[in-house]
Amino acid sequence: MDTTGSASGQRAATWAWLTLVVITIGSWWLSPAHSGGTALPSAPITAVVLLLAIIKSRLIIRYFMEVRDAPRWLRHSTDAWLAVLFAAIFVIYLI
Amino acid sequence: MSRVDDAAGAAGGEGARQSGRRMLRRTPDGVKPDVWLMTLFFPAWYAVFGVIICLLTRVTPPPRPDVTAADKVAFFTQHHLTIQIGFTLLLILLGGAAMTNGLVGYQMKRMSVGSVFAYGYIGGMSVGALPGFLLVTVCFLTAAFRPDRDPALISLLYDLGMLSYNGSLGCFTAAYLVLAVAILYDKNNVFPKWFSYVSIWQIITEVIATQMFVFASGPFSWNGSIAFWLAVVVFSVWLGALIVLLRGAARQEPVTAPALA
Amino acid sequence: MTLTARPEQRRDEHVPGDNDMWVMVLGDMIIFAGYFIVFMIYRSMHAREFLAAQEHLDVNIGVVNTVILLTSSWFVVRAVTAARAGRSAQAIRLVYGGGLGGVLFMALKGYEWVAKIRAGHGNSEMFYSFYYVVTGVHLIHVLIGLIVLGTVVRELRNPGRRRATVVESGAIYWHMVDLLWVIIFALFYVMR
Repeated sequence: MDTTGSASGQRAATWAWLTLVVITIGSWWLSPAHSGGTALPSAPITAVVLLLAIIKSRLIIRYFMEVRDAPRWLRHSTDAWLAVLFAAIFVIYLI
Repeated sequence: MSRVDDAAGAAGGEGARQSGRRMLRRTPDGVKPDVWLMTLFFPAWYAVFGVIICLLTRVTPPPRPDVTAADKVAFFTQHHLTIQIGFTLLLILLGGAAMTNGLVGYQMKRMSVGSVFAYGYIGGMSVGALPGFLLVTVCFLTAAFRPDRDPALISLLYDLGMLSYNGSLGCFTAAYLVLAVAILYDKNNVFPKWFSYVSIWQIITEVIATQMFVFASGPFSWNGSIAFWLAVVVFSVWLGALIVLLRGAARQEPVTAPALA
Repeated sequence: MTLTARPEQRRDEHVPGDNDMWVMVLGDMIIFAGYFIVFMIYRSMHAREFLAAQEHLDVNIGVVNTVILLTSSWFVVRAVTAARAGRSAQAIRLVYGGGLGGVLFMALKGYEWVAKIRAGHGNSEMFYSFYYVVTGVHLIHVLIGLIVLGTVVRELRNPGRRRATVVESGAIYWHMVDLLWVIIFALFYVMR
């Protein structure tokens, strides 16, 4: 019988969803298409955008995919994927 | 095989049975010898194929699309001998490809989903061999046949060969699709379900390969990082997994099982 | 009837879905990571050109599509919870809700593509060649996801089945589709 934190897991997922939606709508202001006129590159804005993306990704992985309650190998490998991918993205961006 | 043994034994051919067993000793116990032979043949053929396409004919990794006709003529001049050796060898060994597809088809027939999928796989892969490597074989051999031909024509043969070799997608897509679906519905677990998903990745790489016909340079050209290199990694995973899984499937079938219809 | 019991595992942690699906999901994540990194490399080689091209993306549709997909994922989470509690009918409705989100996403994406192509942003611009390939591959994943959700519904409809692994595996695939989009959104629509 699988009842791994059913009700509380559900609640946590709902909070995760709300957070995700808020962040998404918030990033509308950061987008170059929104800026009107010519957009300029901006490392600080990009850093914020990538950080928000990491947060959103981890929320989905942990709360939607339920990796929060998963064995260590799964938690670690998904975190490793996030770390390697976003580190690579940011480093390449800065070069 | 076992029926022959029984007959020989019943006729008092004890010696015959013993020598038969000696021949089959290297086959693992309880595995059909002919299936096992083909299972070993599969990676052997692909190894030879790999030598042909990588070392002899140099189509993998592919020569660049963004070069002039003179460069292409130079390519054929430089690799003239090995292209002729490699591709004529491939023409002779072609039947091996059909046999490897037949082995996969055989294992698919053991699935609970019925033979249709096996025939679909064999059909898709067989038709795919035409644009898949026959066309580049003929194009490159033709280019090498008369090296003093008009460079524009040699350039055409180069492009035609490479585009068809790398972009020959639809037939293989059909084969991967029926394989993936068959595995998912198979109750006999001939192949594990994750291999179905790896086959679906193959389909995705084929879809991306459509871009090869549009770009002569960049990540989506026939030598591009996404359209070619990433796809080669996925293909290697698929092929490697298939070779290992065919061994498992061969061992899974008891030697006493009746011959498939 | 609640979902058929899973084999005994440590109470505090379990692998949702089955291992085969995790091969798919983790492998797919790695492959997409490859696409993202190649994109970033070409982006840094043509930074100004890419940024100029980005300005023409419709960020409104981008935001709406992201919210649609996030919400559809949330529906699927609730569906799994309902399925576990034995409320199969509710679970099926929620899966349909998630699927509807997927269909809306595909419709909006299609509209976006047509609008971009009509405005002249085709394959000839490198940013857009990446855009169409990456969002195109993602779109195929959404389509496959709809089929996967369909198998989840079929599983839930049959009182003799309703296996936890099938429902969970389907859900995890759908969340992966969502996860990949969130990153695509950040890299193509938002970052500069």
